[in-house]
Amino acid sequence: MTDATATFDVRRHGPASVVDIRGDVTAGSEDVLMSAYAAAGDAEAIVLNFSDLSYMNSGGIGLLVTLLVRANRRSQQLMAYGLSDHYRQIFELTRLDEAVSIHDSEQSALNAADAG
Amino acid sequence: MSTLTGSFRRRFLDRAGVDRAVRDAASAKPVALVDEPPPVDIAPNDPLLAYLQGASGVVGIETLELDSPALTAMKAAGVQLAVPLVSQGELIGVLNLGPRRSEQDYSLDDRKLLDNLAAQAAPALRVGQLVRQQQAEARTRERFEQELEVARLIQQNFLPKQLPDLPGWEVAALYRPAREVGGDFYDVISLPDGQVGFVVGDVTDKGVPAALVMAATRSVLRASAQRLVEPGEVLERVNEHLCPDMPPKMFVTCLYGVLEPATGRFRFANAGHDLPYVKTADGSVELRARGMPLGLMTGMAYEEKETVLAPGDSLLLHSDGVVEAHDPDGHMFGFPRLKEAVATYPGGGELIDLVLADLREHTGPDAEQEDDITMVTLARAGGSTPAEEGPAPMRQLTEFDVPSAEGNERLALTTVSAVVAPLGLTDARLERLETAVGEATMNAMEHGNGYRADQPVKVRVLTGSGQVRVQITDQGGASTDRESETPDIEAKLAGLQRPRGWGLFLIKNMVDEAHEMSDGKVHTLELVMHLDDKSEIEHERGDDDDQ
Repeated sequence: MTDATATFDVRRHGPASVVDIRGDVTAGSEDVLMSAYAAAGDAEAIVLNFSDLSYMNSGGIGLLVTLLVRANRRSQQLMAYGLSDHYRQIFELTRLDEAVSIHDSEQSALNAADAG
Repeated sequence: MSTLTGSFRRRFLDRAGVDRAVRDAASAKPVALVDEPPPVDIAPNDPLLAYLQGASGVVGIETLELDSPALTAMKAAGVQLAVPLVSQGELIGVLNLGPRRSEQDYSLDDRKLLDNLAAQAAPALRVGQLVRQQQAEARTRERFEQELEVARLIQQNFLPKQLPDLPGWEVAALYRPAREVGGDFYDVISLPDGQVGFVVGDVTDKGVPAALVMAATRSVLRASAQRLVEPGEVLERVNEHLCPDMPPKMFVTCLYGVLEPATGRFRFANAGHDLPYVKTADGSVELRARGMPLGLMTGMAYEEKETVLAPGDSLLLHSDGVVEAHDPDGHMFGFPRLKEAVATYPGGGELIDLVLADLREHTGPDAEQEDDITMVTLARAGGSTPAEEGPAPMRQLTEFDVPSAEGNERLALTTVSAVVAPLGLTDARLERLETAVGEATMNAMEHGNGYRADQPVKVRVLTGSGQVRVQITDQGGASTDRESETPDIEAKLAGLQRPRGWGLFLIKNMVDEAHEMSDGKVHTLELVMHLDDKSEIEHERGDDDDQ
């Protein structure tokens, strides 16, 4: 695996953990993403911030599916915001948007997390 | 009897073997009444010749008075009568008679008999002479025909026994030797990675020498083509091989091109051969590449060019026997007419037939073919395979290799994006193409090339007909390791499918058309985006659920 060209920082907001994704989400990002997921701990909702995403490929989508499986297992909700139109379209095509709730902003995501 | 020999014979040498006929007539002994006297030479300027030619019949030698060395010799040899054999006013022989065996003088009846004999023998002798002359000519002709047959056999033995069956392509060829076999040849060579080499060549000179040089050229070319592939390098190598052994004043012109059937890419080099024509949507164009004929000089370099044969395009390789065919007034068929024919006529075998018909009309139906005629055509079907829709020619924008290593799909997509950007795709569609190129390159590196560093992925970008086409080729034409199941998020979440496997699905949804082509060696995925935006809306789903 190539080195991940990404940093995933985790911030805690009440019941939600926000993961700030910077750089690429590819198959090579697995370790970084899973560390971030571990750092997010037992938050009820994991909010993925894609605002600074530069590139995501099918390997990255596969990785999100893996994350989704783990989150589902722990009954955690997976959310996303900051997706560009392009990646939003890819979420729709792959129907990831049915399993990951997509929001226009962090606030909208956090509100939804609070409500959940 | 005596014969006409020596200087007399020499004088008659140019008259169709009269000397031999005269001697044969003498040795046949039709009037061997006496022992044969020794032969007597009659010099060309001897007055006896004129006398005999003008004589009205048998000539008594003993009583003849002429200042003639031949006459003196004949008298000395005991010749009594000379019977001139004259056919159509020409002295073609003389019967010389010694004394009668009975030792009586020749009677009047004898002389009449000899006159009659001479009158009948002369035409018969003439016929005999003509028959021998024809037989000699026939023998010469036969030797010539045998040599031609050998040349023809060599030639035909080295022509391809069959043409390749390339899906989406029509390959046709014609080799029609002139009676005096020239040095034309063509060849079709299977190369690594499903590529096919096409050769048309012409050896100067005719007959067996040309056929032998042709055979040598073909063999060296075949061997070099397998090792080197690149047309310019191949011709360079062939030239180096041929130069040392090439007979003086002989050389070979040759066009060598390599086709990638999956993509239509045609690379070629030319060693002084007539330029091929390609029929495109815009008419026919010449394929130019510089290079000296083979076998003239060592150290030659051959320029290599390439073009892409788009769907509907057809290529004609030809020899000079076509354009240099003359009509009865001496006008050549000419390049412009052939070029026009390529532009107007359908490609493939039909093109060959129609050009032949034009040639027949040009030369007249009964004209003997002056030189070998060779034509090889290569026509790409217009729409019979997925990549072959639309008749317009495609222009190549770029081509590059991407080493098969993880992460290198970024290299492919950024390069393609930069090249395609000026074509006017909207940002959203350009981004979709980028994603598709990235995914296709990943698949090619992984499933096609198994991430082997020495097997790069080839990326080619073409445009034309309001489209941009990106062709991504790997070496896994026979690979079965390709995504086949349609990914389903629920199946994946339920653990029924692996999390990955989104690549091909994404590709197909990102671009307007995606075509897969595989020939057992290479695999090409062609991505097509239409440059107008009519299809934009079709990709929107409109079921946002961001609340």
